[in-house]
Amino acid sequence: MSHHPRRRALALASVVALTGPLLLAACGSSDDDSDKSGKVTITVEGWRPGDEQGTIDAVKKQAAAFMKEHPDVVVKPMEWEWNAETFATQLAGGQLPTTFRVPFTDTKGLAERKQIADVTEYVDALPYAQDFNPSVLAAAQGTDGKVYGLPTDVYGVGLHYNRKLFQQAGLDPDKPPTTWDEVRADAKAIADKTGAAGYVQMTTNNTGGWMLTTLTYALGGRMESDDGAEATIDNAATKHGLELLHSMRWDDHSMGSNTSFEWAPINEAFAAGKIGMYMSGSDVYNALVTTNQVDPSSYGLAALPLADGGSVGILGGGSVAAVNAKASAAQQKAAVAWNDFYRERKNYDPEAAVADAEVLKASNQPIGTPTLPVFDEATWQKVQDALKPYVNVPRDQMTSFTDGVFQQTLIPEPASQTQAVYGVLDAVVQKVLTDEHADIDGLLADADKKAQQLLDAS
Amino acid sequence: MSAVPVPVPQEPAAPASAPVRRRRGRTAEPESRGISSAYDRRVPGARVVRALVSGGLLVLLVVVALGPILWLAKSAVTPTQDTLRDPIALWPHGIDWANLRTAWVDIDLERYFANTVVIAIGSWAVQMLVAVTGGYVLSVLRPPGSRLLYGLVLGTMFVPAVVLLVPLYLTALDVPLLHVSLVNTYWGAFLPAGASAFNVAIVKRFFDNLPREIIDAARVDGCGDFRLFFSIVLPMSKPVLGVVSVFAVLAAWKDFIWPLVVLPDPAKQPLSVRLPRLANVTELDVLLAALLISCIVPIAFFLVFQRMFLRGGLEGAVKG
Amino acid sequence: MPGRPSSDGRPGTLPIRKATMTALLAPLRRAAAPVLFLLPMLLVFGLFSWWPIVRSVVMSLQQTNLVTAPEFVGLDNFRAVLQDPLLATAVQNTVWFALLALVIGYPVPLVLAVIMSDVRRARGLYTLLAYLPVVIPPAVAVLLWRIFYDAEPTGLFNTVLGWVGLGPVPWLEDRSWAMPSLVLEATWAAAGGTVIIYLAALVSVPPELYDAAEVDGAGVLRKIWHVTLPHLRGVMLITLILQIIGTAQVFLEPYLFTDGGPDNATLTVLLLVYNYAFQNTTGGDYGKATALSLMLAAFLACLSLVYFRVTRRWAS
Repeated sequence: MSHHPRRRALALASVVALTGPLLLAACGSSDDDSDKSGKVTITVEGWRPGDEQGTIDAVKKQAAAFMKEHPDVVVKPMEWEWNAETFATQLAGGQLPTTFRVPFTDTKGLAERKQIADVTEYVDALPYAQDFNPSVLAAAQGTDGKVYGLPTDVYGVGLHYNRKLFQQAGLDPDKPPTTWDEVRADAKAIADKTGAAGYVQMTTNNTGGWMLTTLTYALGGRMESDDGAEATIDNAATKHGLELLHSMRWDDHSMGSNTSFEWAPINEAFAAGKIGMYMSGSDVYNALVTTNQVDPSSYGLAALPLADGGSVGILGGGSVAAVNAKASAAQQKAAVAWNDFYRERKNYDPEAAVADAEVLKASNQPIGTPTLPVFDEATWQKVQDALKPYVNVPRDQMTSFTDGVFQQTLIPEPASQTQAVYGVLDAVVQKVLTDEHADIDGLLADADKKAQQLLDAS
Repeated sequence: MSAVPVPVPQEPAAPASAPVRRRRGRTAEPESRGISSAYDRRVPGARVVRALVSGGLLVLLVVVALGPILWLAKSAVTPTQDTLRDPIALWPHGIDWANLRTAWVDIDLERYFANTVVIAIGSWAVQMLVAVTGGYVLSVLRPPGSRLLYGLVLGTMFVPAVVLLVPLYLTALDVPLLHVSLVNTYWGAFLPAGASAFNVAIVKRFFDNLPREIIDAARVDGCGDFRLFFSIVLPMSKPVLGVVSVFAVLAAWKDFIWPLVVLPDPAKQPLSVRLPRLANVTELDVLLAALLISCIVPIAFFLVFQRMFLRGGLEGAVKG
Repeated sequence: MPGRPSSDGRPGTLPIRKATMTALLAPLRRAAAPVLFLLPMLLVFGLFSWWPIVRSVVMSLQQTNLVTAPEFVGLDNFRAVLQDPLLATAVQNTVWFALLALVIGYPVPLVLAVIMSDVRRARGLYTLLAYLPVVIPPAVAVLLWRIFYDAEPTGLFNTVLGWVGLGPVPWLEDRSWAMPSLVLEATWAAAGGTVIIYLAALVSVPPELYDAAEVDGAGVLRKIWHVTLPHLRGVMLITLILQIIGTAQVFLEPYLFTDGGPDNATLTVLLLVYNYAFQNTTGGDYGKATALSLMLAAFLACLSLVYFRVTRRWAS
């Protein structure tokens, strides 16, 4: 070939000029945030992977009702679930919905990195802006005091148990354990008599740390100082908790042989009848029904057993319905309006709660799963009263929790680097549950050191 | 990313008309004698041993290689409780064909299956286009600088694809020059698949072995670059196109980590990426049915094109 | 994209007669052919291979979270990776995986191939069966094996072991069992491919060598030892290097089976890269991820160089 190089360059340029726009047209995305009619389009977190059709229908119905109220907004619900692993990828890739829920633990970090939007202006305009329970609202605020979303789904951790397995083990399903010694004894009875795992605890993907922290709180310890400056992992309560797990796993053999569980798999295993008891948020029953089709008659919810002493309490958390930092101002406003409509109003206004319940009822969705107040207890009670006729979850199988929870102290999750510290704790729980000869003291000292490094670096 | 790398597909032989360049010691016919001789076979004791060894090997292969797949096929139509109670039972108590339907419809396998097909076809098309045009330029047209270019292409073989995961992801987020995001588009799965140095290399080497006389004769007849490509080179290239195609489709079907990263939207994900997520929320029998459905296409593909897979390995990588 | 040679110019676009047009465009057309044919390769390799390679070098020297502007930090990322206590764990685990794969996975295909090469009847069936697991999508295979590896005594493998009075084995639920379990599955999934390589090489053993060995009175085993294996030396070295390159990049098995657990017992180097970039809930550390990638790439490049030298020598 003996073509003149310059001519070839010219040809190349013209070819690139020709094909470039073609490629662009082929790959370009069509996600306009507002179409020509001036409407604002937002994508919103709709349902979890694996949810039944009824759940999806209910969200879509709500979206239609919202759009009637706000004719200038188009709401597109999509499948989404907060997942420690994919969240960062989606965030970086700009693939998050316009609005989505993140755990209380992540709000401050995301706000600091400007990865979620400051929506103070829109939240302040809501009628109940001044009525939030201050400690709940704090979870939605950044370190700068601005508000980054609406706090919702406030839960306290409870003990979920399988009533059928209790019966088969000769235990009274109406008398769930109230101390950790009873948990241990009941777990052993279930394991011995039914072959199912008596008690199981989450261990992977940061849920191991989440639940070890819960256990620590129940026994009176803390993982961090209140200001989040100092790691206190190496404490007597955590040690006691790990020893308890160790005896259940290795002496009683009441925790089963499979120990790798996180939130979704443990729900699936529980719904399949393989687990006697486990700890999770009080509202997990919703997911057990919509995703895992649990048998309602087998479900029981008990208040988490607490040790004696002034410092014990249950871990409380929740989600913040946050807004994508890349959303336009109009989208941010629409997103807050949607979250008000779909998630928050029903916690405040009995009428809205009833309207919400009507939709849920029509799609056969669970109503009345225990949550904790986002506002004050009186508001919460009013809403509960209004909802009474609609309740379709077995509330009488949850009385141990609903009666007990308001006497328990609700303790927020560790203040600083929460998920990273949970990651460190995952390894500790996994080690204790997979190695009979694990050195608990050494593990705790080591984890404390690692957590302190994380706190110092932040 | 498996423990033992997948074999290198063999470079297909050039058409019969091509003067085959043979190397010393490589002329042996496939039907050569084995390790044991006619004499070994006649010794009575040895015959029994041989029968035992080859029979034992067959049983072993059936149990170990085929067994898990047969188990999957059985359990996919078995109710969960049966599988849990007696995982090794040869026959299920009741056959539950509904599992397959549930998997296909209720957990939306239909869609992920279709996504996988789209990704396989698109990746195949891009790989073919790049490999064939690239091979043609590097082998037949050979403009100045093509040796350097070939070196740059081969050089990418030294950089394992998985190591490029992060920069490739960031590139897909904002493609240079075009400034579009390929994340959550099928182009994000297709285009990077095309950057396979291996494909370019085997196509180029195949073209290198095409009879030069035919190409030269066509040139003398005034055949231009395009006609030469479409009328002479392509029609002679069926064997190499077949090999590249089969491996391209299978690789796309098996790919996991790149689609996991570039397609975070569940509605666009292929089976490989979606199944691990669904595994956490799906009942065992339905999950097994889903796994079975996901294997059927690659297995069928393999059975149909088995000669391309099995006709021995290393020559392609070693020759030339 | 290059289509068939099209007619010159679109009809009616320019008031120049067609013949003139053709004459004017002839040199351009001649130049356009190589360019058009090159374009797909240049674009695809440029954008999705060469540019990311360059970019990974740049990024390893930067601090970036994709939200704020990247900041040049010199070798800080490399330093941070080298100081990460998890790196030592990940390297150890990866080496351990590679060693186990060598012990468990390396001899299996060799033995299979040697026996199979001596099978007279239905050899095609043998190779077909041996290769079958290779075509199963790895994600499917792992999910299936995860069920087999159920640690309860009622799990599939444990039931089988129970028949002969063994187990139950904790498989993925134990620090020391987890890695061998991963290697076992990986060997199942990949051995067939290597068998094919060996079989191809075995065909070329000159029969005279066997004849000569028989004249010396060698039995089957001695023939394998003195003729077959020496002949395979070259291929064995190649598969060895290929296997080490493959095992150094192991990701899918630890990611899907155990997510690096229990207690980081199956955290491999590539999983650590992935975790740096994608696992951090509040934004990835792409600098550290690329820095570790580059270190791994450098190691693999050395191995690849050895591989190419070996194959070249073996070929000539």
